[in-house]
Amino acid sequence: MTTYAMVIDTRTCIGCGDCVVACKNENKVPAGLNRDWVVEATRGEYPDLQTEFRSERCNHCGHATCVSSCPTGASHYWKDTNIVLVAEEKCTGCKACIAACPYDARLIMHPQGYVDKCTFCHHRVDQGLDPACVSSCPTHCMHFGMLDDRDSNVSRLLRERRHKVLLGETGNDPHVYYLL
Amino acid sequence: MTSEAVKPSLRGFLVDSLGHLVRGRLMYWAWLVLLLGLIALGGWHYTLQLREGLVVTNMTNQVSWGFYISNFTFLVGVAAAAVMLVVPAYIFHRKDLKDVVLMGDTMAIAAVTMAILFVVVDLGRPDRFWHLIPFIGRFNFPQSMLAWDVIVLNGYLLLNFGISFYIVFNHYRGREPSESRYFPWVLLAIFWAISIHTVTAFLYSANSARPYWHNALLAPRFIASAFASGPALMAIGLQVIRGISDYPIRQSVINHLALVAAIALQVTLFFLLADLFTDFYNEGEHAASARYLFFGLDGHSGLTPWIWTAVVLLTTAMLILMIHPLRKHPVYMNIAFVLTIVGVWIEKGMGLVIPAFVPTPIGEIYEYSPSLTEIMVSVGIWAFGLLLFTMLAKAALPVQCRFLREKNRRAGTERNPDSDPAVEPD
Ligand code: SF4
Ligand code: SF4
Repeated sequence: MTTYAMVIDTRTCIGCGDCVVACKNENKVPAGLNRDWVVEATRGEYPDLQTEFRSERCNHCGHATCVSSCPTGASHYWKDTNIVLVAEEKCTGCKACIAACPYDARLIMHPQGYVDKCTFCHHRVDQGLDPACVSSCPTHCMHFGMLDDRDSNVSRLLRERRHKVLLGETGNDPHVYYLL
Repeated sequence: MTSEAVKPSLRGFLVDSLGHLVRGRLMYWAWLVLLLGLIALGGWHYTLQLREGLVVTNMTNQVSWGFYISNFTFLVGVAAAAVMLVVPAYIFHRKDLKDVVLMGDTMAIAAVTMAILFVVVDLGRPDRFWHLIPFIGRFNFPQSMLAWDVIVLNGYLLLNFGISFYIVFNHYRGREPSESRYFPWVLLAIFWAISIHTVTAFLYSANSARPYWHNALLAPRFIASAFASGPALMAIGLQVIRGISDYPIRQSVINHLALVAAIALQVTLFFLLADLFTDFYNEGEHAASARYLFFGLDGHSGLTPWIWTAVVLLTTAMLILMIHPLRKHPVYMNIAFVLTIVGVWIEKGMGLVIPAFVPTPIGEIYEYSPSLTEIMVSVGIWAFGLLLFTMLAKAALPVQCRFLREKNRRAGTERNPDSDPAVEPD
């Protein structure tokens, strides 16, 4: 089992949205739909406030509730990894996975009717490349790698920097980390 | 009974049943034309949805289940309420209920069929529905709650259809159906009915990211309200049948259903109170959806008038049914039934499904209200359910009436349903 993770530095992210554009180009995501998006939030206590930009997407959960709720097995893990994919030809568009996903990471394709999501660009990962969003980031605030490898960039960053995940309390075991 | 003897009578049974369907008064035909018209209208809107995809609905990636799944939820409740006739009829041997238990099964068949249709129209890719069929598709069982739901709903449909068919067919042949043959199936159907509720409620409460659903009281609340709305709907249906046919339905049956609805309403409202107290006494983030539903959130309050309407309707119905003279009063009783049906339809429909998506777990607020397409398709499905119920009842009733008449003649007591002293349980 290989565990891939994305580590995003909220201190260097400037909220430019290049990752969103890169994803749309790479994965031909139709107009009006996004597999990733940038959230602008405020953190800290007054008067010590900061703007936090977060590039969000599917968390490729270790316990993916979308996979367990899918009645047909269309939602599945890619090979022996935590990368969650939708097998388009098996998807009935029942949307049980959308109800089950804590991160609003899934989208209904119109008019095709199946459900789509971030794939961590597994087709690029297969060739040893980073996901499109990660390679496009102008400030290099996004990092991608294997958590099982102690020397990978992501393992090192998580060891050295304070970080958080979103909605960790749901028990989904998310794999997009935000450096604080 | 040898098979040679069964076969011709089975064919005769089917031919006779079809015969009953094409004989009827003007009202019957007008009713059929109305229903067929509504079905055609719904079907036309559905072709639109097939062509354009789910964009013609108001469902979004945030609120991904809407009016269809709301109706589905309500109907699952109605379907299972047939046990409120079955249990007293077969377990406690209430004779008056046993005479009408078949109508309860018929209603269950119509309700489950509608529920399944509502799931089908909600699918983005209905052509791939076959993936949801065990053995044929790749069926994610036992992990997925939706896979469970497919099994229990279809199983319930088969069970009810099988039991009803067996009983009516035997009555057609003028025999008492052998209890030892069908009773095990009736027992199974009773537990099965509870399971279709429970599994459907678990479909929602399994989602840990949605606190509005992730709640141990969801399944009990679901069952309680279903035992109010189901008997109410059945009571109205039985009174209509009594009005237009000579099927002997005694007032004690209607009174029994009113009593069941009264108790179920009390439990429903108590559960609601318990939920509200837990949410609001010391309000935390987990109550955001409940706040949206009952009081509105950040200026969004689309469902607020609806849910308060439901609360008022259900409370009124409960009060009417709790006061004995009113509960037995033919007019007040029926007012209470209608209030119960509408109230539960709101509360266990849109009120149960939509708030779980508002706000989304990551805090977005998208309000939802059904589009014209969703409403018309839903009307079409309801019309289909009513048509199915009408046809099944129309085919079965003459057989039932004749059988009951024969039986009573043999027993030497030609019964007049209206003057018959009712068995009063309470
Ligand atoms: S974030 Fe949502 S879509 Fe992605 S793996 Fe987790 S549950 Fe599934
Ligand atoms: S919408 Fe598709 S991927 Fe999602 S649960 Fe249903 S069949 Fe599975």
